[in-house]
Amino acid sequence: MIKAILVINNHGKPRLLKFYQHYSEEMQQQIVRETFQLVSKRDDNVCNFLEGGTLIDGNDYRLIYRHYATLYFIFCVDSSESELGILDLIQVFVETLDRCFENVCELDLIFHVDRVHHILGEIVMGGMVLETNMNEILQRIQEQDKIQKQEAGITAAPARAVSAVKNMNISQQLKDIKLPDLPSLSNLKNAF
Amino acid sequence: MLLQKMPAVKGDGMRGLAVFISDIRNCKSKEAELKRINKELANIRSKFKGDKTLDGYQKKKYVCKLLFIFLLGNDIDFGHMEAVNLLSSNKYTEKQIGYLFISVLIEQQSDLMKLIVQGIRNDLTSRNPVHVNLALQCISNMGSREMVEAFCTDLPKLLVSGETIDFVKQSAALCILKLFRNSPDSFQPGEYASRIVHLLNDSHMGVVTSAASLIEALSKKWPEEYKGAVPLAISRLSRIVTATYTDLQDYTYYFVPAPWLCVKLLRLLQNYPPPDDPSNKARLLECLEGILNKAQDAPKSKKVQHSNAKNAVLFEAIALIIHMDSEPQLLVRACNQLGTFLSHRETNLRYLALESMCLLATSEFSHDAVKKHQETIINSLKTERDVSVRQRAVDLLYAMCDRSNANQIVAEMLTYLETADYSIREEMVLKVAILAEKYATDYTWYVDVILKLIRIAGDYVSEEVWYRVIQIVVNREDVQGYAAKTVFEALQRPACHENMVKVGGYILGEFGNFIAGDERSTAKIQFELLHSKFHLCSITTRCLLLTTYIKFCNLFPEVKPLVQQVFQTDHNLRNPDAELQQRSIEYLQMAKLASGDVLATILEVMPAFPEKESSLLAKLKKSKPQLEEIEREEKEKRAKPSAVMSEGSTSLVDFDSSSDNTATLADVFGNSSAPGLTLNSDEVEIANKADISKFVTKSNAILWEDDYIQVGCKLETRNNLGRLGMFYGNKTSQPFNKFTPIITCPGALAVQLQAQAKPVEPLVAAGTQVQQLINFVCVQEFQKMPIMNIKFTFTDRAGAIQNFDKNFYLPLFISKFFEPTNMTSEQFFNRWKSLGAASQEAQKIFAAQSPMETATIETKLKGFGANLLTEVDPNPDNYVCAGIIHTQTQQIGTLIRLEPNKQAKMYRLTIRSSKDTVVQTLVDLLGNQF
Repeated sequence: MIKAILVINNHGKPRLLKFYQHYSEEMQQQIVRETFQLVSKRDDNVCNFLEGGTLIDGNDYRLIYRHYATLYFIFCVDSSESELGILDLIQVFVETLDRCFENVCELDLIFHVDRVHHILGEIVMGGMVLETNMNEILQRIQEQDKIQKQEAGITAAPARAVSAVKNMNISQQLKDIKLPDLPSLSNLKNAF
Repeated sequence: MLLQKMPAVKGDGMRGLAVFISDIRNCKSKEAELKRINKELANIRSKFKGDKTLDGYQKKKYVCKLLFIFLLGNDIDFGHMEAVNLLSSNKYTEKQIGYLFISVLIEQQSDLMKLIVQGIRNDLTSRNPVHVNLALQCISNMGSREMVEAFCTDLPKLLVSGETIDFVKQSAALCILKLFRNSPDSFQPGEYASRIVHLLNDSHMGVVTSAASLIEALSKKWPEEYKGAVPLAISRLSRIVTATYTDLQDYTYYFVPAPWLCVKLLRLLQNYPPPDDPSNKARLLECLEGILNKAQDAPKSKKVQHSNAKNAVLFEAIALIIHMDSEPQLLVRACNQLGTFLSHRETNLRYLALESMCLLATSEFSHDAVKKHQETIINSLKTERDVSVRQRAVDLLYAMCDRSNANQIVAEMLTYLETADYSIREEMVLKVAILAEKYATDYTWYVDVILKLIRIAGDYVSEEVWYRVIQIVVNREDVQGYAAKTVFEALQRPACHENMVKVGGYILGEFGNFIAGDERSTAKIQFELLHSKFHLCSITTRCLLLTTYIKFCNLFPEVKPLVQQVFQTDHNLRNPDAELQQRSIEYLQMAKLASGDVLATILEVMPAFPEKESSLLAKLKKSKPQLEEIEREEKEKRAKPSAVMSEGSTSLVDFDSSSDNTATLADVFGNSSAPGLTLNSDEVEIANKADISKFVTKSNAILWEDDYIQVGCKLETRNNLGRLGMFYGNKTSQPFNKFTPIITCPGALAVQLQAQAKPVEPLVAAGTQVQQLINFVCVQEFQKMPIMNIKFTFTDRAGAIQNFDKNFYLPLFISKFFEPTNMTSEQFFNRWKSLGAASQEAQKIFAAQSPMETATIETKLKGFGANLLTEVDPNPDNYVCAGIIHTQTQQIGTLIRLEPNKQAKMYRLTIRSSKDTVVQTLVDLLGNQF
């Protein structure tokens, strides 16, 4: 059983938090800080398992994590899961993200938080491993995308037209990460 | 992968969201960020409140913004209602975001729960499987009480329904699992058990994997209802393990076929004992061997994912082998495999290998195999760079420690302690203290170890540890003088931990007189030494020292004036601490007023502490709950530590039986040799005493026969359970009346062997036979036999009514709980050598009572219960057998060797066993059979 999934970047900023057990907002942030403290001081060639912190709390939980470039993917699991199995699951998650976002990067997780949650939802459900086969996972995601497109096609056409125009050069602007202040979309809509 | 690069804003990207996020990221300060967030929150709030015409897209965008704000660490206290509304939307995208918000943000006690449950219920019955899945995801993400109550009956139906499509089934299984974990009592065991079990046969591997997780949990609670899963799991596993990886298409992960499913199935099988059915068992063993064999194969890929997946399965297989604990060969192979991992370059494998070995160390069969790796393990404690791995090495050393290696392991742990990570010091101190106590053969060593502990890790020595050393010193006279001398020396060192002062104060106060004769440690020197530390110590320690001082007054009248001066100082007499002040005043008065006799009475040496389980173990268990299990198993599987602190009886059990006075007395007087078959404490006359020994090598025979009654019995045993069928035949032409067979386990046997007899009718009709079943549980090893008293009235040939009242031994011997084990010659003699201690062997040389025919001897040995091994002993005339005696508390490996000398018509019988109390009993049993 997985108790929590945290994705935290190299500076300790959370990029994805998913708790399968209730923690208050305050507690969640404390866990993030604490867990980051624990993993960030570890060398890259030590083992991927560790114990300690509020999440573990003296029980048979342990943290299993992997470090990819700028992000730590940390799973907090109990003894009913195979350690190496979870390590592989993290890999499956990341590979799936990579396929869905075509070369995933940290920014994808920031800007598409909903989509990341949906992808995770196809792999882990309520803290239990739902699906491990990447093709199966991708197929589900594609089905969702399809429904999304269909639904968007019918009702959101006007809004999509607007954003399509506005999007034409947004990727250019995003390239140098420091984004200029753009008028927010809702203001624009009022103008129409 | 995951390098910094541009986010690809997809066609449907919510621009407002992207802009907002960019704004936040551009904020130069925390304040600016907060300002921007508050602005956005106000904006969203007003939108939600004012604008009734918000469309789904807009709601979705705002909800995403809220999620982002939440992620940054800000509480969100609105938007819940909007999320619930989204949930009841007909559009998938809106529904999806509604569910997302709820599962991330809504607390379990929310007022909206009723609405949410209703929304979920609608979606569960939807014809659209995608909607059903969203609902299932939400239920399992929340898993709350309300969810359990609302859905615990619907979900199992959904799971087993033939109409449910695969991926919904998959989710439903996990959804039930989650609710079951949170509230196991809300589910009924039986109703769907067989249908759920059969999901293991499903053609969709995803469904099988989810079902395996579910069954794994359910079978823990209801093993009987779900035992049908065992053969199915074995056959599924066998198909995967023996399949070439192309057979499983998508579920092959980096050339490893369905690793997650294998892991789950192997876990599931760990909930059950090894299968009884020989073909299933053979198939399972084949799988396990297959997995171990694959570990030797050259890797099919250099990728770490390949070896990870392969080893995940391997570790689980090893866990199952350890759980079964019945296949010595596999256990040793597993141990060797783990041994190679101990020096693997992959840190994860070293970590896991150390962890698995901890379990292996507790198995009778592999304990010695683990010990072969001791040097490597100590080495990893010294050289491993990763504290997590070092921690595992400490755990393993603790688990594998026994009498033979305790000295070395404790010494290594002490050395490591000096440089150990702060995070694990306290636990290590506890472990060292426990090992030192448990395996101490010499208490001076124990005292040395504990004092060294205090010296090098004083801050981490908890109260329990130093209390314990004092308890032990007080209880054992032989070590008191040594302890006094050693603490005195320790206190003389320049830097001295406060805990050392406490221990030193206490011990010198009690036993300082032992060393006062030495001019280097006279009473005055002792007192001054202690008092030189006084001012550096905390109040509680000072209080303790005051007590030591007053004890000195009694032990050494010559230091009394010095002590009185100390009590009198303002610093003590007027100390703001009430306890310290009170002690000073009272002790001062006592020293002044009380006569020598009174002082001697009040300040007598402390009486011995009552004996109980070491408080250290309790402490360790509290700090590490998962240890308890290991600790328990360990206790069961290994002999009691040698250093039992109470003198006299080796087993506390003997005291439990007050009826058996002679036996108890015999124990108290140190009659340590195990009592043989006929113990003179049997108060009753036994009718079948003479020929009960014929049952040693057979299970069915006539127990008693006379002119009136025939009593037959038939014994079957499995593991530590036995079932004895008793047959009572009436040989007369009149019925037996008031027929009452009563079984008793006299004395200590009551604890060692539990018996439960089915009642029988009080009337046995003429010329008929009645049957009675008696169930036995062998709790621990035993020497004596249960006694059956049979009473009834019958009519003799003369027509007179007679009473029958006789006692019989029932043929229950410890050897009946043998399980035969197979061994190769090498294994046998390795094991034989390792059981070399004098206490582990018993021997008897005796003259042959019957012709020395091979066939007869073999039949008898086989009948004894252990496995007769052929082509093992280099001398073909000798007979060797191996077996495990199963008791509830432990398994006792036993080896037997019978060497006939045909010229001399003599036999030499040697039995070696891991449990010293068993060998003599077995020799006594078997020694008069040939």
